[in-house]
Amino acid sequence: MLEITNLSKAFGGLQATTDLSFSVNEGEIVSVIGPNGAGKTTLFNQITGVYRPDSGDIRFEGRSIVGRKPSQIVHAGIARTFQNLRLFTNLSVLENVMIPQHHKLRSNWLSAVLRTPGYMRQEKAAYEYALDKLSFFGPRLMSFRLHQPVYVLSYANRRRTEMARAMATEARLLLLDEPSAGMNPSETAEITQIIRRMRDEGGYTILLVEHKMNLVGEISDRVVVLDYGRKIAEGSYRDVVDDPAVIEAYLGKRAAEEGRTADLGVDLEELP
Amino acid sequence: MVAAILLLIGLRIHYLVNVAEVRSYASFVGAFFSSLQLGSLYALIALGYTMVYGIIRLINFAHGEVFMVGAFVSYFLFSNTPYTVPGAILGAAFVSFGVMFLATLWRGHRLGHPLILAVGAVSLVAFTFVLSTASLGWIMAMILSMLTTGVVGVAIDRIAYRPLRGAPRLSLLITAIAVSIFLQNFGLLTFSQRQTPFRPETMWTDPFSFDVLGQAVFTTNLIILTPLLLVVLVTGLHLFVTRTRIGRAMRATSQDPETAEMMGVNVNRVIATVFFLGAMLAAAAGVLWGLNFGSLNQPAVFGLLPGIKAFSAAVIGGIGSLPGAVLGGLILGFLENFLTALFPRTPDFAGITEYKDTFAFIALILILLVKPSGLVGEDLSEKV
Amino acid sequence: MPDPKRNRNRLLTLAGLGVVVLLLYLIDNSGSSKLVQAFALFSIWGIAAVSLNLVNGVTGILSLGQHGFMLIGGYVTALLILPVQSRIRIIESGRSSMTEETLSISIANFFSAIGLESLAAPEYLWLQFIVALFIGGLAASFFGLLVGIPSLRLRGDYLAIVTLGFGEIIRLLAATSMFSPYTNGALGFAGVPAEFGKSVWWTTAILGITVFVMARLKYSSYGRALQGIREDEIAAAAMGVNLAYSKILAFVLTAFFAGVAGGLWVSWIGTARVDQFLFTLMFFLLVAVSVGGTGSITGVLMGTAIVVFIRQYGDPLEQTYALTDWLRAGGLIVLAGGFGAFIYRAARRLRPRLNAMVWVPLGLGTLAFAAALVAPGQGWLEGSFRGFGLRAILLSVLLVVIMVFRPEGVFGRSEFSWAAVFRERRDRPSDEERGQDAWLSNPDLADRLARQEKREGDE
Repeated sequence: MLEITNLSKAFGGLQATTDLSFSVNEGEIVSVIGPNGAGKTTLFNQITGVYRPDSGDIRFEGRSIVGRKPSQIVHAGIARTFQNLRLFTNLSVLENVMIPQHHKLRSNWLSAVLRTPGYMRQEKAAYEYALDKLSFFGPRLMSFRLHQPVYVLSYANRRRTEMARAMATEARLLLLDEPSAGMNPSETAEITQIIRRMRDEGGYTILLVEHKMNLVGEISDRVVVLDYGRKIAEGSYRDVVDDPAVIEAYLGKRAAEEGRTADLGVDLEELP
Repeated sequence: MVAAILLLIGLRIHYLVNVAEVRSYASFVGAFFSSLQLGSLYALIALGYTMVYGIIRLINFAHGEVFMVGAFVSYFLFSNTPYTVPGAILGAAFVSFGVMFLATLWRGHRLGHPLILAVGAVSLVAFTFVLSTASLGWIMAMILSMLTTGVVGVAIDRIAYRPLRGAPRLSLLITAIAVSIFLQNFGLLTFSQRQTPFRPETMWTDPFSFDVLGQAVFTTNLIILTPLLLVVLVTGLHLFVTRTRIGRAMRATSQDPETAEMMGVNVNRVIATVFFLGAMLAAAAGVLWGLNFGSLNQPAVFGLLPGIKAFSAAVIGGIGSLPGAVLGGLILGFLENFLTALFPRTPDFAGITEYKDTFAFIALILILLVKPSGLVGEDLSEKV
Repeated sequence: MPDPKRNRNRLLTLAGLGVVVLLLYLIDNSGSSKLVQAFALFSIWGIAAVSLNLVNGVTGILSLGQHGFMLIGGYVTALLILPVQSRIRIIESGRSSMTEETLSISIANFFSAIGLESLAAPEYLWLQFIVALFIGGLAASFFGLLVGIPSLRLRGDYLAIVTLGFGEIIRLLAATSMFSPYTNGALGFAGVPAEFGKSVWWTTAILGITVFVMARLKYSSYGRALQGIREDEIAAAAMGVNLAYSKILAFVLTAFFAGVAGGLWVSWIGTARVDQFLFTLMFFLLVAVSVGGTGSITGVLMGTAIVVFIRQYGDPLEQTYALTDWLRAGGLIVLAGGFGAFIYRAARRLRPRLNAMVWVPLGLGTLAFAAALVAPGQGWLEGSFRGFGLRAILLSVLLVVIMVFRPEGVFGRSEFSWAAVFRERRDRPSDEERGQDAWLSNPDLADRLARQEKREGDE
């Protein structure tokens, strides 16, 4: 579904991405991991059109998307969440999750002003769709929370809103940038289940950036490891975690020599 | 590219003088000098814009009005002195604040420090005496006006901009517009509602003519004074910014205010200093403007166009950059004056003088669309 | 979105409209032409301000060029609707830059040309005016498109300056020889029919249309997209919003209504001249929009009311009074401000109680009073003083105060709605829901609730 070939990007003297290649198949959950500064968010920015890569290609469903604007890439079927949350702060939860439906609107502004039947039908459909995406997270973002401005929400609820918002774009591939950042273990367990449900029930293909190894190990079909903008390992979680190059990147040369594992995760099944 | 432009200009001059025979070389020499003068004036005002933007990323809309205040204050100083005692005290108070501010820069003390207060008291007495007994010449008027206008600049920052430190930039811009309108109407209220003649006794406004290839160029001595003052003031500013502690603090604050504060820089004081310096330069420009044109428009109008044009000049040169402001000012001066000389009014052609005022705006829009960082400036973009 | 109180709200709105009509009738027949004119001006500037709010408040782009759009609309409307006598007078004045050709551009001639001679007659001036207004709006919206293009590449304050530049260029060029065949240069057009601009019915009806369109737009998908751009442009693009289309749409619509407002403005004054469209006009609109609230149509209307009130009824401020009277009045106001600040700080228990905001006004006020007392006998304090420009000073001080203390405007983002009047809030849980929500996050509370319900069930 997504093919990244020899991607490279430099900022001034800093080479952020170097000759990166991997692919994501439809229906997979692929995790991108690596130490901080490895270029994970830069990778996302290049896929979503925020940065233009210096060289290499990114193909989505067979077509190259390099050089397209971010909103065009959403039309093509890719959506993302942000590492530091970029919600529409003063707007309500409902408004946040309905905005991604705007690009699907077939009516023009005049129809919107006149509230033509065609427009009203699309509004209602957008409303239902938004509610449907929010229901992924249980009843907690429905009812009265729908109309609350996002700035009163708890941090975890804000993350959930952003994920619902990304789903509401009707994208087929979701890029999740550290979806469990700032969450405690029980919230992390919950989001892990939700991501899995997103793939199983929602049919989304998911590419995610994460630091929490337990989450990564629990749901990834495949893992790609980056360090200094380069891919240093790829494979299943078990393979990657025992790969000496990965151990060296995370724990240092000595640890690699000692043959330690990079599996630093807490076993999710032991949580209450 | 500069060479290409100069070549085109040369060809055009040649055409106008030798082929169409509508102008003489002398007239272009005259246009050159008047462009230089106008450019110097714009440069002085542009420096204030660029310094304030460099340090707090604010487009100080009110700077044009600060320029106006400088001009009018100097007018009152050389035309109405000696004052009666109450007026002299009031005037001396303003000037003394300026002196005290400079004194705080010198030693790093606070405004309430005994030494500073002593300096202030001395200056208050001294200037009251001066203002109530002497009739000031234009130079003294300019210096005192620079001090007073500096105080006005600091006051504007303290009252309108300081409470909004950390507020979104657009709120600041709107506030700056409000301050600008306030000063315009305050000028109307307190100064005058008509044009004011500006003719102090000075040899610099005496005519000065010289010959170029047999034709006479009629100018005044100001073609020497204006660029000279520009050079003096800019050099002084440059030395201040590069050689003094406060200058270093200014440069640090413009790069990263938070870290500067952590390094012990009193950021609010530095910002106030920037406003003071910018206002001083604008006041000097105001005096020179008056000398140049012989009169001042009414206060609500006087600072408006020069202000926006000087701002355009700062952007063209590269906002945030001191050499950029000077360069931009000079370029704009030439754009306005010399360009109209290159396309003079002839029987078949109405000339472009009436479009003169739009040049600054058009240049501004073009630069912002093509190279927003200006000819010399820095690039500021947002991180995702 | 299902709205349970929809019918009640609709009835209330209808009743409200009835009240407005009654109000207009009373004003129109009040006999005070000053009141009529003031209200008409409120509506006219209201149109300009409410449409400015679409770009400034809803989309979050500071646009300072509204006066340019109004100029375009005003001049186009004026040229199209100018009565024949006025046109003749222009030619006869001998100083006009217009030709026979350009002077013959009018709606009446247009109607005749397409075969609708009857509509060219003076009785149909009202119809001609509507068409002229519409065309003026269209002309302005074309310029809105032009101004919108830089908005795709520039941000915040730079963009604001560019819009200002556009507004000023339009104003400066309008009087130059390039355009004076169409604008009559610096002289402009005198004799524009005033019965439309000065009519509360016409102006308020068009204001109503503007508010209707703007409100419907704001609460639609397009409105949400624009607000998304205001909140976070990058996130909006990441969610599929076409930034270019949305921003240009906002500018085009804003410019259209500004053009219409300009057409009504020249009718209100009766002439179309370049100096009716100075930056001062933009400043008034900016105050209206900023004081009222970012994106709140209700707030903007309130702001417009304040601005128009001060402009129309502020003349007493700008007369000549004795200096001592000024000192006393000014001293009184400043003292009141100082006391107010003191009471505020005391009530909020802020320390120090006597900080600069308190003693500076108190000191200045006392000085002013002292000066007024001492005045008789002191030569320089006798004499009078004209309060020239005090209205603008008042408005600029108001703007600074709002920016410092409440930058989001008095109304902020909230809008008038019947739900707000009845204190119905959709963003608060009902008691039943409150129980449910707690259960999700706190198992102990759920146990307690379950036990309590069991107890109540047993009783």
